[in-house]
Amino acid sequence: MALPLPPGLTPPEVAFLCEMELVTVIPRQRLEGLALLGGPIAALNPPHRTSLPLWLALLLKRQRRANILPPPWLSPHSLTAILDHETENEEGFSPPPRLPPQPSNNTLPISPPFLPSSTAEAAPDALPYHWLELGEMLLGAASDDFEDPDNVRKLLRGLREVRMAKLRKGVDVLDAGGGVQMNGVGGMEVSEGRAFIGGVVDGLRKIAASREQQRRDKEREERENGYPGTGDYEDDEMDMQ
Amino acid sequence: MDIDDILAEVDAQSIPQETKDLQELTRAWIAERVAPELLKWPSALMDRVLERIRQQIESVEEQTGNLDPKANFTLIIIQTELERFKFLIRSFLRARLSKIDAHAAHYAARATSTPSLLSSSETQYLRSHTALLSAHYAASFLGTFPASLRGLEDSTGGVRMVDGPDEDGAVFVRALRDVGSVGVEGTERRFEVRRGDVWVVRWSAVRGWVEMGDMEVI
Repeated sequence: MALPLPPGLTPPEVAFLCEMELVTVIPRQRLEGLALLGGPIAALNPPHRTSLPLWLALLLKRQRRANILPPPWLSPHSLTAILDHETENEEGFSPPPRLPPQPSNNTLPISPPFLPSSTAEAAPDALPYHWLELGEMLLGAASDDFEDPDNVRKLLRGLREVRMAKLRKGVDVLDAGGGVQMNGVGGMEVSEGRAFIGGVVDGLRKIAASREQQRRDKEREERENGYPGTGDYEDDEMDMQ
Repeated sequence: MDIDDILAEVDAQSIPQETKDLQELTRAWIAERVAPELLKWPSALMDRVLERIRQQIESVEEQTGNLDPKANFTLIIIQTELERFKFLIRSFLRARLSKIDAHAAHYAARATSTPSLLSSSETQYLRSHTALLSAHYAASFLGTFPASLRGLEDSTGGVRMVDGPDEDGAVFVRALRDVGSVGVEGTERRFEVRRGDVWVVRWSAVRGWVEMGDMEVI
C-alpha cells in the first residue's frame, strides 16, 4: 500500500511530469474541444497551431493525427550555441530561460512543467528545466518532425555529458550546511544527482554533528573539573577550517 | 507596475480553476515525494479534484455505449487523462502513507497539535495502525515486562524513544518569489535567495517558505 520508494522523484516520474509541458502541434485532423480534468482543450482545426500538453501531443502523433513542432531551443543551431557556452564556462550550468514577470502575491506562481518553455514561441537560447526528457521523448516519438534528428540527438548527448561532469565536479563545494546554488539544473539531473548529492550533504552533516557534540561534551567536562581548555580544543578548531 | 506585470496578472486570472488545481496538485505531489516529513493535507484542493474525477468517471460511463469512432477517440483521450490524474492522487496518498507508517508515533503526537496535518481517513488509518501495533507488542513481549518498563514513549536519559523523520535532510528547492536571506541553523551559512534560484539546502532551513508557497521542492 504505502510507497516503497525513497524520497525524490524516480526517472519515470520525472518523465511523467515532463509530459505536462506544453508543446505546439499542427493538427492533421479536426477534433472537437474537450473538457478535461486539467482544464479545457480548444478544438483542433487543421492547419492552425495549438499548444497541447506533451502526453496528448504524443498520443495524437502516434495516431498520425498531428505533427509536433519542436521548440526553437531544440534545433542544431541553438544546441550548438548552448553546448559551446557550457564547455567554455566551467562554473555552473548555462542560465535557464528568462522567467515571466512576477505574478501578484495572491496568485499561485507558475513553475515548470507549466511554464510555456517548450512551445514554438519559447526562447531559443536557453535550456528549460525538462530539456533532456523532452528532447528524448520528442526524438523518440516524432523524429520525422525534426529537420536533422541525428544531429540534435548527438548535441543532446554532448550536452548531457558536459553537464553531468559539472554535476559530479560540484561535489567539491558541498558542505555540511548545504546551501549550494544550482541554477539551471534540469529535472532529470536533479533526479540522478539527488541520491549522491543529498547523501554527501547528509553524511557531512552527521560527521560534523558528532564532532560538535563531542566538543560540547568536552567543554561541559572542563567546566565541571574547573580547569581551562587544553591544546586539544584548539586542534579541533584548526580542523574545522 | 509596468505593462508586463498587468498582462501577467490578466493572464493569471484567465487560467481556468481546473488548470490551477492541476498545478497545485502536481506541486503537492512532488513536495510529498521529496520532503522528508509529512506536509499538511490540502483538503480544499483534494475535495475539488476528487469531485471532478468522480464526475469525469460518470461521464465516461455514460459515453462508453457510443459506438461512433470519433467519439471513441475523444473517450480515449479523456480516459488517458483520467488515468494520469488517478496516478497523481494515488502516488500522493501512498507517499503520505509510507511516512505515516515509518513514524506513526511521531505523527500521532503531531496530529493532535495540528489537526490539519492529516485527512480524516488518514487519522483513522493512523489510529488503527497504532492500536494494532501496540496490541501486538503487548501480546508478544511487552506483557512480560515489569509495568514500569512498558512505556514506548519514554524520554528519560535524554533520548526520546519516539523516532521522527530526519528534518535536516538535504532537499533541492526552487524559489518562486524573492525570499531574501536564508540561514542554516547551527552553521554560519547565510545566502541570498532570489526568484528562480535552485539551492540544495537542509529541509529544516526552508520548511517555512515551502509551506507558505514561496519556495517549492523539486
